[in-house]
Amino acid sequence: MSDILYFLENKVQIVALSFLLFVYILRIFWLFRFKSRKEQSYSEGNATACIAHSMLNVAMPWAMESIRKKPFFYIQFILFHMGVIFAIAATFIIPYGPQLFNIQAVVWIFQFIVGMAFIVGMFRLYRRFANPSIRLISSRDDYFSLILMIFYFGVAFLAIPNNYHRSEWPLILFFALTAFFLIYVPFSKIGHYLYYPFTRFFLGRTMGHRGVYAKRKKCRYPEGL
Amino acid sequence: MPELEIKGKKIDLNEDGFLQNPEEWDDEVAKALAKAEEGIENMSEDHWAVVNYIREYYLDKNLAPMVRKVCKNSGFTLKYIFELFPSGPAKGACKVAGLPKPDGCV
Amino acid sequence: MSDKNISKKIKIEDVTSLPLELESQQKASKEKIGSVTEGKLTLYDRQKRNVERFHELLRKKMTRQLASSMVACVHCGMCAESCHYCLSRPDDPQMTPVYKADQIRRIFKKHIDWTGRVFPKWVKAGSPVTDEDLNHLKNIVFGTCSACRRCTFNCPMGVDTALLIRFARGILTDLGIVPEGVFNVSRDQWETGNQMAVTEEDYLETLDWMKEELQEELDNPDIDIPIDTEDCDFMYTINPREIKFDPRSISHAAKIFHFADEKWTMPKWGWDQTNFGLFSGDDKLGAYVAKNVYEAAERLRAKRIVISECGHGYRSTRWEGYNWAEYDQNIPAESVILTLMRYIQNGRIKVNPAKNSEPVTFHDSCNIARSGGLLEEPRWVLNKVCSDYREMSPNRRENFCCAGGGGLLSMAEYKPLRMEVAKIKADQLKATGAKLVCTICHNCVDGLTDLIKHYDLDMKVVQVLELVSHALVV
Repeated sequence: MSDILYFLENKVQIVALSFLLFVYILRIFWLFRFKSRKEQSYSEGNATACIAHSMLNVAMPWAMESIRKKPFFYIQFILFHMGVIFAIAATFIIPYGPQLFNIQAVVWIFQFIVGMAFIVGMFRLYRRFANPSIRLISSRDDYFSLILMIFYFGVAFLAIPNNYHRSEWPLILFFALTAFFLIYVPFSKIGHYLYYPFTRFFLGRTMGHRGVYAKRKKCRYPEGL
Repeated sequence: MPELEIKGKKIDLNEDGFLQNPEEWDDEVAKALAKAEEGIENMSEDHWAVVNYIREYYLDKNLAPMVRKVCKNSGFTLKYIFELFPSGPAKGACKVAGLPKPDGCV
Repeated sequence: MSDKNISKKIKIEDVTSLPLELESQQKASKEKIGSVTEGKLTLYDRQKRNVERFHELLRKKMTRQLASSMVACVHCGMCAESCHYCLSRPDDPQMTPVYKADQIRRIFKKHIDWTGRVFPKWVKAGSPVTDEDLNHLKNIVFGTCSACRRCTFNCPMGVDTALLIRFARGILTDLGIVPEGVFNVSRDQWETGNQMAVTEEDYLETLDWMKEELQEELDNPDIDIPIDTEDCDFMYTINPREIKFDPRSISHAAKIFHFADEKWTMPKWGWDQTNFGLFSGDDKLGAYVAKNVYEAAERLRAKRIVISECGHGYRSTRWEGYNWAEYDQNIPAESVILTLMRYIQNGRIKVNPAKNSEPVTFHDSCNIARSGGLLEEPRWVLNKVCSDYREMSPNRRENFCCAGGGGLLSMAEYKPLRMEVAKIKADQLKATGAKLVCTICHNCVDGLTDLIKHYDLDMKVVQVLELVSHALVV
């Protein structure tokens, strides 16, 4: 293994990760700087249950009409994000537990997932260009982030076998991209997962408080019944 | 903008079918509005009683009268007002009387 | 006539370029009305640096809820699947909820968010430059969205687009850049405490008249519509529309309360449960109007507040008003639907569903269902008082807006677009095969009546009080 690859896999990765963490902490402080409104009306539901329901929305494809109408979109979503998880996992496995990739089946599973994510990414890119509604709302960051992800999946596909003795280039590219990602992500739409708990919390709290979801049984019938 | 054509003369209506310029109102306009907006083919004496009262009230006070006043003045029951103008006093009678669209959730 | 209407496609530029109408504002300025001189109601003034003030207000009014919804959007476009504007105008990309929300989001990105401040073009951040740009924003947030919150419930990220729309409306209201209808209603509600400028005399006279009619109808001189009675079981609050144009609903309510042997009252002041602050985004107005109701109930020591059939009024008075007014709720508040449920359950009134035999369907008001939590209650009552109830699809939290929500009924200039996008609702109504469509919102009554006329449907709109009153067994 060359020095540069070793440097990328270890020092750079850790520095970039720390940077990401640091910016995320700042970002959360930034969000908390804005005042939050408290509910002053009597509750008719269970806000906690509804917050949980709202947070789990991501795992409940039946919960939203938009997804029920377009189930294929949900499958895309799952594959794409599985791809992200597996690619990130690979960035840790390669430097810290490379023996796992000695098992051929594991390599195949990882390659299959990121490969599928790559295809989904292409499909999404096509949609972003071809659908006039999506094109109108898309920013350069939207295109760049998506192209970057597709590229990343492609590189991950090549890097996962971890054959540095044959060729180091896929690995060097993969870890260089990872470092770039970790620095770019908090300033781009890719950091949306950081906000998911916030939006979901607020929506769940409001709707739970009003009994739109998770209504209290006794409130279904007026007092005195 | 929608308009109403009466004997070659064009009268502007707002998007809700109310007169754009309430001063353009006359009996012919009322008849045309009643037909176009309320489906009233022939304005009866009772229709006119309601419409004329609303018109006079509007010219005097620059606002639509309460339905209470319309009933009291014409001697008609509320039910009968709704029979005369199916869209009700606001979107029916006031419109035929050439008032601008009343404000609020109507 | 309606065929011609239906085929007419509106050019969106005609809507987004509608000018700022100032006639009412000029009149208010000339007459020096109290709400203007006291600074409650803002008039548009081109001399003031409106764009700068917009940025200041954006900063000042920002909350954590709003900021989260600003930053969380990933531009996936799923919201297009849920919006009645998009579904009725699939070829118009400007109808997508995220596009509408982005008109305010871009300003947030440019001035408050991080990346947009440094690289605005990279994330489509931008800022209004002239008052004309603000007027354009006005037409988008008031004219192309009924704030029904359907997209919010269909957003994978939980972005509350309707909240962003209301936020933008609120800032524009603070600059006087509002549709004339919004200005007029806000003015009346500030000036008179009710949105239709009904005087106390007119209010009391109308109630008296309804009382007399009821006494005559039932041949019972003891029937009363009590005013300002203390220590009652509840204080009944209404929509001014009921007083001004159609008091039949007050009569239905009074009749039912009479047979239920209820100890109730209506307040002399603080009777308007509607709240234009919800639509204009003006929390100050929202606080003022809601507080009138809460304080009236306290003054009369009423055991609860009952809210007549009204969508935005229910949402404002039952939920939002306390937060706007920063007023801790101390008296229960409920929709009259719950009151009716109690009567039927406890046997305080007897009803016969055979008296309402026409097929009836139920339209969920957005503010009552999606934003209010009353889903099963109205259905429970309808099933007791109607013999042929038919469910509409989709329904409850997923129902479509009547297309007249979000205050759009008071803005005539946006009516052609409103009617065009009501197509989705018209199809939904037609599919039920019902002759009556029942709703518990006055706004929906008018929104539905408009679209029934426009699309030439063979249907009539009714409300729950009317059906219950009709089904009463005396």
